[in-house]
Order: sequence, then C-alpha cells, then structure tokens
Amino acid sequence: MITIEGLKKRYKEATVLDVPKLQIYRTECFGLVGNNGAGKTTLFRIMLDLVRATEGQVCFEGEDVSRTENWKRRVGAYLDEHMLLAFLTPDEYFESLRRIYGLSQEDLAQHLDRFRELFNDEILGKKKYIRDLSKGNLKKVGIAAALIGNPAAVLLDEPFENLDPSSQNRLKRFILQEKERNEITFLLSSHDLAHVTDICDRIVLLEKGKIIKDLIDKELMASELFQYFDQ
Amino acid sequence: MVLQLVKWEILKITRSTAYARSLAVALLMLGLSILLLSYVVLMGLALEPILVQGLGKEDPIGFLNSILIYFFLFEIIYRYFVQGLPVVELESLLHLPISKSWIIRFLLIRSFISPLSLIPVLLFTPFAIMGIAGAYGYSGAVSWLALLFLFSWSLHWIMLWFKQRFEDSMIGVAVIFVVFMLGTGSSYFGYYNIGEIFLPVFSFALSSYVPALLMLLVCAAAFFLCYTYYRRHAYLEDLTADEDIKFANQSFGLFSRFGLAGEMADLEWKLIIRHKKSRSYLTLSGLFLLYGLIFYANPAYQTDDGFSYIFVFVGSFITGVFILQYGQLFLSWNSASFDFFLNQKGGVEALVKGKYILFIVISALCFLFSVPYVYFGWEILLIHLATFVFNVGIVIHLVILMALWKPKPMDLNKGGMFNYEGLGLAQFMMVIPLMIAPYVVFLPFAYWINDYAGIMALMVVGMGGIFFFNLLAKGSIRRVMRNRYEISSSFRQEL
Repeated sequence: MITIEGLKKRYKEATVLDVPKLQIYRTECFGLVGNNGAGKTTLFRIMLDLVRATEGQVCFEGEDVSRTENWKRRVGAYLDEHMLLAFLTPDEYFESLRRIYGLSQEDLAQHLDRFRELFNDEILGKKKYIRDLSKGNLKKVGIAAALIGNPAAVLLDEPFENLDPSSQNRLKRFILQEKERNEITFLLSSHDLAHVTDICDRIVLLEKGKIIKDLIDKELMASELFQYFDQ
Repeated sequence: MVLQLVKWEILKITRSTAYARSLAVALLMLGLSILLLSYVVLMGLALEPILVQGLGKEDPIGFLNSILIYFFLFEIIYRYFVQGLPVVELESLLHLPISKSWIIRFLLIRSFISPLSLIPVLLFTPFAIMGIAGAYGYSGAVSWLALLFLFSWSLHWIMLWFKQRFEDSMIGVAVIFVVFMLGTGSSYFGYYNIGEIFLPVFSFALSSYVPALLMLLVCAAAFFLCYTYYRRHAYLEDLTADEDIKFANQSFGLFSRFGLAGEMADLEWKLIIRHKKSRSYLTLSGLFLLYGLIFYANPAYQTDDGFSYIFVFVGSFITGVFILQYGQLFLSWNSASFDFFLNQKGGVEALVKGKYILFIVISALCFLFSVPYVYFGWEILLIHLATFVFNVGIVIHLVILMALWKPKPMDLNKGGMFNYEGLGLAQFMMVIPLMIAPYVVFLPFAYWINDYAGIMALMVVGMGGIFFFNLLAKGSIRRVMRNRYEISSSFRQEL
C-alpha cells in the first residue's frame, strides 16, 4: 500500500533520514520507534508531503505523494495540534471536515459515535474552542479528525502521549477494532513500547534516520526492543 | 471550498483574543483608507485642470505620459513598504484533501483585494474619460487605461514575489534603493531621462491595444511567477525559520551596566538579531536614516526663514522609527516566553525596563548616525536632537501605552513564508497618531513665537519626560503587572 524507495532527507550537510526501501502493507498496524531525533516525525511528514524529500519517493497505492494530491482523500493523519484549526470548537471543526469530505450529517454522527467512549463526554457539545482544550483532549479531536472520511491509512504521531491511562486503553481497543472492522492500515510512532508492542503487527526501529530493525515476530518484539532501549 | 476558507478567515479574526484591538485597527484602517482613496478620487478629477491651469501644460496627455513611469517607480517603493503578504495557517490545511493550488490561489486573490489595487483606477479613470476620450476616442481611453491598470497590477504580483523572495536580504533593499535612485537621478545629471524613454510606450497605447495586450502577458507571467513560487514553498519546512547560528554570543556590552533590566535588554537584543521578523525592523531603522535625503536636499522644502515644519516629522521618524515600529508589538515579541518572565522574581518589571533601555540605546544610535545631516545646516542637527529627546521622553511612553492595549501573540519561530506579520499597512498607519504628538508641542510655539521656539519646546517637554522617566515608566510597569494574567493567557491561547 505504501512504498518508500531511496528516501533521503538532508538538512545542509546532515542526513536526518535514509530509508533505501520500505513497504507497508494493507491493514498492517505498523509501529515506528526510536530515540529522540531518530527521524520518526520527519518520515511521517515526508509520507504526508508536508516536508520535501531530498531524494527518493513515497508512493501511496502507486501514486507519488509529492506529485498528486488525490491520495489525501484516502489518508488521514494527526501529527500535532498545529494540524487543527484552533479557533473553532470541536463540533465546528468536525462539521467543516464533514463538508470538505462530502459526508452527510448522519455519516458524521455515526463517525463521532465511534469515539463516544474515547471522548468521555469532554469534547462534543461543549462551548470551548480547540485552543482551550487540554493536550489530551486535543489529541482525541485530532485522532477523530484523522479518521473522518473512511481513510485507507491513518498516520498518528505519539497517539498515547498526554492521554490518561483509561483513554490510552480505550484508544488501543479502538485502533484494534478499526483495523479489523474497517481494514484501516495504521502507522503509529510512539515512545511507549508497551502500547506499540501490544497493538502493532510490525515495528520498525529507527536510529539516526536509518532502519536498524524490522520486527515482525510478535513473540520477540518486546524483548528485542527492551534490549535495544536498555543499552 | 473558497467559501469555507473565507468563513475560517472570518472566524479566526473574530475569535482572536486580540479581536478588540484588531477591530479597532481595522476600523481605523478603513477610515484612513476611505479618506486617502477619496483624496485619490479628487486628485483624479482635478488631474487635467492641475496639468493645464496649475502647471500650464498645453499638452496635458503628452506631459502625463512623460511622467507616468515615475508614478510606477513610486508605486514599487510604496508597495515594498506597505503591501502586506498573504498569511495562512498552512499547517492546519496541508493534510486535508484541499489542493494546494486552491489554497494558494485563494491567498493570492485575497491579497489583490486591497486599496492599493484601486489607486490607478481611481486616479486615472476620470482623466481618461474627460481628457483622453475627447482627443483619442473611447477606444484610446480604454486601451490607455488598460495599460495603466495592468502595469500596476503586474507590480502587485511582482512585489508579492519579490518581498517574499528577498525578505531579510540586502538584495531586496539594494533593488529598492536602485529604483529610488533611478527615479530621483533621472535627468538630474543629464545622462538619461527615464520619462522620455517610456513616453512612446504610453503614447502608443492611445492609438493601439498592443501595449495593453503585451502588459496583459506581463501581468499573467507575474501572477504565474508568484503562484509557482508560493506553491513550491507550501511545505512545513518553509514555515519554520531554521537559521544558522550566525549571531551566537553577540552581547551588547553596554547593557550589563543596568543590572537585571540590562540583562533583559541584552536578551531582547539577541531576540531581535536572531529572528528575521525583528531583524527587519532593525534594517528598517537603518534604511530610514536615509529618509532625510528626500526632504533636506529638496528645494521644495527650503524656506527663507526658519525651516519647513515637515522636518520635525522627518526628525521624529529618523530618530524614533525603531520605537514606533518595534514598540508597537511591545510584549508580542516575547509572547512565546512570557511565562518565563512571569516565573522570575521581578522578571516582568525587568522585561519592561529592559525594553526601555533597548529603545533608548537604539534611538540614541539612530541620532548619532544622523549627525552627518549637519551638512544640510545646523538646524537639522538641532531638530534631530530635539526630536530624539522628545521621543525618549514622551513618545516612548505613548507607544508603550498603545501597545499594552490587548497585545497580540506572535510566533517568531515561524519563517516568513505565509506568515508575514512584519511591515504591513496597519503597522504604518498606527504610527500616525504618534507622529502627531511632536506637532502638538511644536506648532503653538512655532506659530506664535518662531520655529526655534517650537524646537526648544520639544526639547523642554522631552527633558521633562526624561526627568520624570521613572515615574512614567512605573505607570507602564504597573499596567503590565496588573494585566499580567490576562496577557499571559491571551498569549497562551493563540499560540
């Protein structure tokens, strides 16, 4: 579904990302881990054409993401709060997205209903602008927005960060459910090894912009990662 | 989609925590724009009588065509200073299924809807109807007007590209300086007359559509240049100013003598030189040092006794442009780190005092650099000294008083692309009330006694302000301290 070839990102002399080849398959729950500055967010940003690649390309279902924009209808993402329109209320934001994606009111209501548990009655119907929400609630709005329009793939950067423990567990359950029910491909970057090993089918470990491990064996995932990060 | 973008723009403005300030500025701007545009209309209606009766030109059309190029050179300069660049929250739109082309086209077209685009229409249409249509028929009037409009609108797109492309670069300033010299130097030395060079183009437009059609191509090319440039830079990395550390460890030694406030002034100095936006204000102060050349050397402003009253304005601007411009965004510069100052013991007080020190030092430097103007007469030096003292004693407090009303947050770490909050029309308009202040003191004395008495009055009032400096500064500090929670929350909410 997503193919990366010869991808490099350089800032002046420093190469911050160097991925010769990477393929992410349909309905895979793909985890990306690595220490600070490993290049996780940069990789996601290039995949979303938010940042230019110095070399190479990212293709989504055969479409080079830097050349067309049709893929944007089939890819949802939430990387940070700058992706939201802070001056709207969550309801207004979802309503705007409904129009952009051409959904009906019922579609939107149904969509938001899926998040009822995660929202915990703190997001919808409140007279509060997005800019005034807590970091955790911002994340919930961002995740719900990323899933609008039934995307085939969803990219989430640190989805568990700032969420309370109950919400973290709810989100984990939600991701697994969506993957099964709607065959969504999830790409998650996270520092929370316990959560990623719990839900991901495959985990790629980045170090200084390079892939140093591509783990697919569920049994060994946790031990290999804990061993690496314990060094 | 366009309606959606327009709706978001409106909501963003009306829901800003600095809405009251923005609204007041917008209303002031609207009033001033209407006033200035109505002057342009009057000027347009009176253009022919001015040329024929006022200047005694027998062939007003030929004469106007010979000076039109100066109008466009002037347009380049005023567009450079007052034309705002498109601003959009690109980060929140790029990942959505809205094509970049839509966003960029929306931005560019929005930038076109401006009073500046109306100036040639209002200025030249009456002349074309009353003067040209009679001599060359309506066809001639239309083709001549089309050339002028398209010329001006081409400049709109070219300047939109130019300002963004050469932002914070000496090339940009150098080009503007060359344009300025090209205009003022024309026919001065007898080498060339730029008006005569362009005369055939404008004259040809009276009898042919060819110049207008060629200009249409230029206008389309300029739009395309602008569109491609903005489209190509619609990436997150162009939104963040990731600069080399080229100004590391550059402290202003003098500030260390002022204790904690001096330390804050030094921090502010580092903030200024390490961010493009703030640096442009500093560059502007340097550029405005040359402002006097336009007036002091101009025979139109020479008088038999005393001096032209406009010199007080020039002096105020040369010695105080940094206070007027940078000071307007007084606390906004520190909006990202305001909590840092709140968190320090006496931090906010030191921050305000530090800014005072910085303003005074830079204003003093501007005064010192302007000393060579003494070449044009001792009275110029006297005017600069008086306006400097008045700026430091009085204007500085007025600027801060205005700036403390609902300060706006500003993200300095964003680059210039799509985020140009620098030198807009509003920024220039806001200084007008502040420029009136020296005249309130100067004019009565100049009128009833003489010009030098007016200058003395400016000096005395300024000295009074300096004498009571601590008292006046305390007022500003108290205001910040009283509103610190509101200021801090407004900065946090919008960033």
